[in-house]
Amino acid sequence: MNEATTAMRAGVLDRVLRDYRGIAADLPGDAGVRAARARAAARLAELGWPSARDEQWRYTNLRAFERLNTFHPPAAEERDAAAALAALQAQIELPPALPGFERLIFVDGRRTAGTHPMLVAPAEHAAASPVWPAEQRLGLLADMFASDAARLKIRGEAAIEILFVSSARAANAANYPRLELRLEPNSQLRLIERHLGAAAPASLIACNVNIELARNAVLTHYRLQQCSRDSIFADTLSARLEEQARYSVRSIAVGGGSARTSASIELAGRGASAAWQAIAVGRGEQVHDIALKVEHAAPDTRTEELFRGIADERARVAFSGHIRIGASAPGSQARQSLRGLIEGHAEIDLRPRLEILTDDVRASHGATTGRLDEDLLFYLLARGIDRLTARALLKWAFLGDVLREIELPALRAEAERLAAGQLPDVPPLGALS
Amino acid sequence: MSMPASEIAPLLDVKDLKARVGGQIVLNGISLTVRTGEVHAIMGPNGSGKSTLAYVLAGRPGYEVLGGSAQFEGHDLLSLAPEARARAGLFLGFQYPVEIPGVNNAYLLKAALNAARRERGQPELDAFEFLSLVRAKTQLMHIDDSFLGRGVNEGFSGGEKKRNEILQMLVLEPKLSLLDETDSGLDIDALKVVAHGVNSLRSPERSIVLVTHYQRLLDHVVPDFVHVLARGRIVRSGDRSLALELERRGYDWVSGQAAA
Repeated sequence: MNEATTAMRAGVLDRVLRDYRGIAADLPGDAGVRAARARAAARLAELGWPSARDEQWRYTNLRAFERLNTFHPPAAEERDAAAALAALQAQIELPPALPGFERLIFVDGRRTAGTHPMLVAPAEHAAASPVWPAEQRLGLLADMFASDAARLKIRGEAAIEILFVSSARAANAANYPRLELRLEPNSQLRLIERHLGAAAPASLIACNVNIELARNAVLTHYRLQQCSRDSIFADTLSARLEEQARYSVRSIAVGGGSARTSASIELAGRGASAAWQAIAVGRGEQVHDIALKVEHAAPDTRTEELFRGIADERARVAFSGHIRIGASAPGSQARQSLRGLIEGHAEIDLRPRLEILTDDVRASHGATTGRLDEDLLFYLLARGIDRLTARALLKWAFLGDVLREIELPALRAEAERLAAGQLPDVPPLGALS
Repeated sequence: MSMPASEIAPLLDVKDLKARVGGQIVLNGISLTVRTGEVHAIMGPNGSGKSTLAYVLAGRPGYEVLGGSAQFEGHDLLSLAPEARARAGLFLGFQYPVEIPGVNNAYLLKAALNAARRERGQPELDAFEFLSLVRAKTQLMHIDDSFLGRGVNEGFSGGEKKRNEILQMLVLEPKLSLLDETDSGLDIDALKVVAHGVNSLRSPERSIVLVTHYQRLLDHVVPDFVHVLARGRIVRSGDRSLALELERRGYDWVSGQAAA
């Protein structure tokens, strides 16, 4: 590494720590919260800012952070929730509400609208912020700067939608959405987590999600990332599953100029299972980088990983899937299917990795990247379908593996609309029939 | 009043067609005239250029025309994009139909049919009209309706894929069907179903070109003309008895003639 790059990295870290020291006294929270913030800052100082030389961060657009003006969140506004919501709706059209889902809205990291009986205060929340490992160190940013969180403790059944919105006030500033979720034994939650924003230049959205699933809990977690193309989206997720718990993530990432998801799932109890089904579609100069680690730490645990990435124009889409089946996890199963579709001068990097430390495991993985298949294209053309439609059909077919898993028709239509917005010349799926 | 056949403009008129694929010359001057209402069979040993002829006429990329011409209803076929050839009424039944998971059969059929109807100046079909039309054809082809909701050819057996090709042909009602070894890999029952489908489309308005290695299909779809291809040329043309003679004497008989 040359000296300029080293200086740049030190520069970003110095600015993070300087901005933190400048604002720490004004951030909300009791002594315990302050101590936790200080620990996060110390940990980041110790780990240093990530480097592109590190395999874990190779495909992240780290340079984007150098252009940020500040890591400070926008100052809190003294106005009531209704006024704040009205101001927001003047800037951005919020997606239509989904039937059966309670909606919570967080603007610039603070709760602005909606309530839910299962929202709890920090003291009641069992989930402690994890100690982020080096490959998830950007999670420390929200630990340091966040001033609010969606904390939910789920009993029984619930369906909740959380909108994390960046307002125009967050232009040239940073947002720290946080979600802390605990599902009690035998509970079930359908959760929609959406990140969206008003058009705003060069803002940072650094998001933390901590999830605990107790015995036999079931979480279906839809994640839609549709932030402004000017923003950096740094997303850190950690989930821990106890016995027989089931966690399904269905994720659609289309937004952000530079997006990085660092996720880890620990299958800690016997029979726990995780499914991660994700789409990332990049165009223009976008960078989507997703790193997922699944740790099988108990017997009879299962993972299913499905990734479909499309990169068009000059975009870069990367997915790294590391599945580790420990010695304490006999009888486990893991399946990994990663596929990338390249258009234009784009780049796709898929890195499957299975690490197996026990016998008695069933595991399979596949990773393929390429352009649209000419044989499939010719077949459609030979049926009289025009070239544009044929190409669009094949792209929809490519994304279909994941889109089909979205059971809620209204949400699936939303996901298709978002994907269509990212695919030049591709009409929405409904328009093709 | 009926005109003598020679005065009707041919549906397909191929003259001295030469083509290469992958640097190798595979068609070496093919001439073939197909009139409306006729059924032709093109036979030949492996590597004789049968499939290449079908692909070149359908416009598959990678098949380079070196010379000659192909007219479809008096228009230059070779200058059209593959999708325009299909919409003009040319249908290629693939020897190896591809699987397209994620694009369902009904979707493909409807998009293809409506593209053809737009070309003919007909209104597009709504979902109800489309389904009633397709259901009649699926029954004819012994295809279960549930297949309409599945991905194109996804997980289909070889025989199912071939039946699906014929189903598409029946729905699209092309003027000219080029069926590339539709009989290969079929057991006798499937062959009868496929033949029945092809025969149901036989009419004075439509033409069919069967590309086949074996004469077995021709027992069920009786051709008006039989051509034998060897080394990229038609070396012999005749009526149905030529296929039977070929069956008896083997391809060496015509291959020898091509070399001469």
